Amino acid sequence: MHRAPSPRAVEPTTRHHRTAFSGSGLRRRLLAALVAIPLALTAAACGDDGGEAAADPNKPVELSIFWWGAEGRAKLTEEALALYTKKHPNVTFKKTWQANQGYFDKLATLTAGGDAPDIFQIDDNYLTEYASRNVTLDLMSYKDSGKLDLTKFPESLWNYGVVDGKLAGVAFGENTQGLVFNKTLLDKFKLQAPTTGQSWEDHIAWAANVSKVAKVPGTQDPSADYKAFWVWLRQQGKDLYKDKALGFTEQDVAGWFTLWQGARSAGATPTPDVIHEGNVTDISKQLVVTGKAATSWVWANQMPELKKNTKDEMGVVAYPGDPSAQWARASMYFSVFRGSDKKDIAVDVINFLSNDPEAAAVLGTDRGLPSNLDIRKAVSDSVSDANMKQSIAVQTELGAKFGASPQVPLKGHSKVRSELIKAAEEVQFGRQTPAEAAKAYFAACQAAIGA
Amino acid sequence: MRGRARTVVRLLILVAILAVVLYPLLWMVGTSFKSREEIATNIGLWPEVFTPSNFRAGWQNFDVSFGRFFANSAMVALLTVVGNAISCLLAAYAFARLRFRMRKIWFAIMIGTLLLPGHVLIIPQYVLFKQLGWVGEPWPYLPLLVPQFLATEAFFVFLMVQFMRGIPYELDEAAKIDGASPYTVFAHVIVPLSRPALVTTAIFSFIWTWNDFFRQLVFLSDLQDYTVPVALTLFIDSTSESAVGPMFAMSLLSLVPVFLFFVAFQRLLVEGINTSGLKG
Amino acid sequence: MPSGSASPGPASRRGRGGPRRRENVAGYVFLSPWLLGLLGITAIPMLLSLYLSFTNYDALSDFSSVEWVGLDNYRTMFTADPSYWHAVRVTVTFALVAVPLKLAAALGVALLLNRAFRGVGLFRGLFYLPSLLGGSVALAIVWVNMFNRDGAFNSLLSVFGIEGAPWVNDPRWALETLMALAIWQFGAPMVIFLAGLKQIPVELYEAASVDGANAWRQFRAVTLPMLSPVIFFNLVLETINGFQGFTAAFVLSNGTGGPVDSTLMYTLNLYIKGFTELQMGYASAMAWVFLVAIALITVVLFSTGRFWVHYSDGEDR
Repeated sequence: MHRAPSPRAVEPTTRHHRTAFSGSGLRRRLLAALVAIPLALTAAACGDDGGEAAADPNKPVELSIFWWGAEGRAKLTEEALALYTKKHPNVTFKKTWQANQGYFDKLATLTAGGDAPDIFQIDDNYLTEYASRNVTLDLMSYKDSGKLDLTKFPESLWNYGVVDGKLAGVAFGENTQGLVFNKTLLDKFKLQAPTTGQSWEDHIAWAANVSKVAKVPGTQDPSADYKAFWVWLRQQGKDLYKDKALGFTEQDVAGWFTLWQGARSAGATPTPDVIHEGNVTDISKQLVVTGKAATSWVWANQMPELKKNTKDEMGVVAYPGDPSAQWARASMYFSVFRGSDKKDIAVDVINFLSNDPEAAAVLGTDRGLPSNLDIRKAVSDSVSDANMKQSIAVQTELGAKFGASPQVPLKGHSKVRSELIKAAEEVQFGRQTPAEAAKAYFAACQAAIGA
Repeated sequence: MRGRARTVVRLLILVAILAVVLYPLLWMVGTSFKSREEIATNIGLWPEVFTPSNFRAGWQNFDVSFGRFFANSAMVALLTVVGNAISCLLAAYAFARLRFRMRKIWFAIMIGTLLLPGHVLIIPQYVLFKQLGWVGEPWPYLPLLVPQFLATEAFFVFLMVQFMRGIPYELDEAAKIDGASPYTVFAHVIVPLSRPALVTTAIFSFIWTWNDFFRQLVFLSDLQDYTVPVALTLFIDSTSESAVGPMFAMSLLSLVPVFLFFVAFQRLLVEGINTSGLKG
Repeated sequence: MPSGSASPGPASRRGRGGPRRRENVAGYVFLSPWLLGLLGITAIPMLLSLYLSFTNYDALSDFSSVEWVGLDNYRTMFTADPSYWHAVRVTVTFALVAVPLKLAAALGVALLLNRAFRGVGLFRGLFYLPSLLGGSVALAIVWVNMFNRDGAFNSLLSVFGIEGAPWVNDPRWALETLMALAIWQFGAPMVIFLAGLKQIPVELYEAASVDGANAWRQFRAVTLPMLSPVIFFNLVLETINGFQGFTAAFVLSNGTGGPVDSTLMYTLNLYIKGFTELQMGYASAMAWVFLVAIALITVVLFSTGRFWVHYSDGEDR
């Protein structure tokens, strides 16, 4: 089975000799020849591939689709795709799924080989990287023609899939920042639960009190957590990114680190080694679950999953500060490969999964709150899991207060995230002052986004 | 009596080291019997509540039974063993015993191929195999297996070269004086005496293939075709659900075949090679 | 030959006809699968990665759209990337400590397990067990739980009244935890040592015994020299492995090299640059510098080998 190569791959190799390797020496030309061997083979192998396969609507088509997740998601997705096949018997699916470990490594490798799946799941960490390299199909024209119906999506949510004016991915599920706390523990010591709208200072004071009374650190120090930093920035009238640059200053970072340095000396947080554990762990080992902190900073829709790993009751509220700084974040997207030869059908499948009541009922809240508001309502009403109910209630309540979404993160976002962990830990372990770490972090971010 | 005392002392030392070495594995066994809540909170060795259901849950966690992944892994690992044993032995004989033109240059290149970190080769390899038409179809395991039959694992070539060079050279000379060709020497002298190297190669090929994650992940795309290491990662999606208990249970089970393979094959090491009559 | 020893080149043998020529042909016959693999499978990706190291390749595009950047990647690496030199330091520290200790553990246990006694096979298997785990997800969880603040290792220390550190979560100790993991998985060199020990003809020990040599002298006079090719092999391979040391670092730090880059091994840094940050051109440059550096180390090892490795064919490599 061969798929159409990406548009780049079918361009005649001679052109590349002129552009990429022009003015080269002998050695370079030899290397170019080496590259050309596989390319020539591609061109030969795929010479018969034309445009859309949709000429005959009943011609059998197999679409490849790739997502990350666990077994539960796989079952639901396969079931929903089967519904599509039931309605369009000529369309079948080659389904590939895996856990998120190695997902983007494999996706990159397939993409580099001109072999990306027709439909793939992606997150805001990588959306810009893929979109800016023209891997993703611009879905704007499909949206405008109504083939991709986003009318029931919150405006800010689908907009969170727009990169440089192109609709690079369809938001598939919504989530927002959520502060999960151990309700059982707080009740036991007759302590108040944190509340939405609580100021950062109040939250830290509250956490310090929890540490003192319950002998469990009140809050996981989130200074290494980009999503907490991001909310905090937006509350200061800043942002993580602004156009093609950073939306914050070195002083902002220093202020953020100083805030949490204060929290640590007030005893509101665990020790640095435990904070580190929380910084790198997967959600089943979040500190609120392992009993090493009374609160963890996660996504609101992860709460029910956290709950499964503990006997204690959990609760969830917004991050501290003005909740309007939070936004409807696309928990993930589905994108279509620009080199696919079945683009129209691929878009139709995404449209189906997003808007078909039956399919959406199957998918439920597995990828986040359904993007389509009508469906969200229907699904929310039918949810039976108490924790999921609570999570949805909080997200719905916050949804009314959401401000506009920020822009989709720039290229280099993953570096911006990992450098924050490093810089924050330098401060936590007492190896750098907030100012030093902020300086290093700011410089690293500048380099990462190529500013 | 002195010999007996020494045996006891040796045994005691071995058991002491073993206790330290095996503790983490015991902990793994304990954890595989813990319930989900207990895994997050109880870091002790033994579960408070014994939960054997992790094994059943793990085995049946996917649409495809875990046994299928075992079968896939076993097939890939066994074919890899065969491929490596044959192809690397041939190459090693050439390097270790035959004088041919450019031998030293080829040997240096062979060592050189060991040195490049593999991650930068993944994409070029993928592109190459795709051009060759090996990816996905006709058989998803082609990119994993064909290289093994072409001695691309320089580690094993080098290993066998080092072992072969320990085989007394006089044997070759004697055979040659009797008019034996290099092929006869190979078949009648080298192959019978290379058993330790072959067994070692077999053990490592099997175990490393059994544990190899990245390449199998990249080239296999259908749940039906997944191997054990790929399947084990499916239990834990760090962004959503994770089934740590079943994962531990299946990890433990996945040790059983390799452990048995090892114990069976190491016997061949124990017996050693019969060198009586040879002068070293 | 890495050692560059001035052995007679092939040219001097040319024209001797007969057996020489036959051996030359036979050499290539036996080498042909490997040669096919080299030219067809190994070499092309390697050369491609060499080419990509001079480009801005991003791990997503196809190779034709890359831009030639000359030596930029190499220049950045040596002059403008502090994480690069940091990772080099981490890696060298790791290799210098972990490789000798791992080899010592492997040889020691192999010698203890070399004698035949009841259940020796089981013992060998049990010692090999940790290595069977490879770099699995389970292993990461196990190791973190052995070496965090309330882990088993600290419980052991507290028996002796020592208060331990949060090893794996402490930037001052995380690398040592990684070393412990590498040493713990000493099974592979152990098996190679065992196989090597088995290859030593028993007659040599008998002869030494007749000459009145005690156990230590037998070890010095028979075991060590006869085992030297295998020791050499293990030394070379474990050195290469030690410097590559990806899996343990990746698994233990969840792919981050943390805490605070304390376990940022060279190859982990390379992986992050290539796949996470999508700078595969730069990562390729890092890989080729790595190859050259390790090749130099290997050449040094090979040249010292001449003084202590004994081959029965009398040739020194």
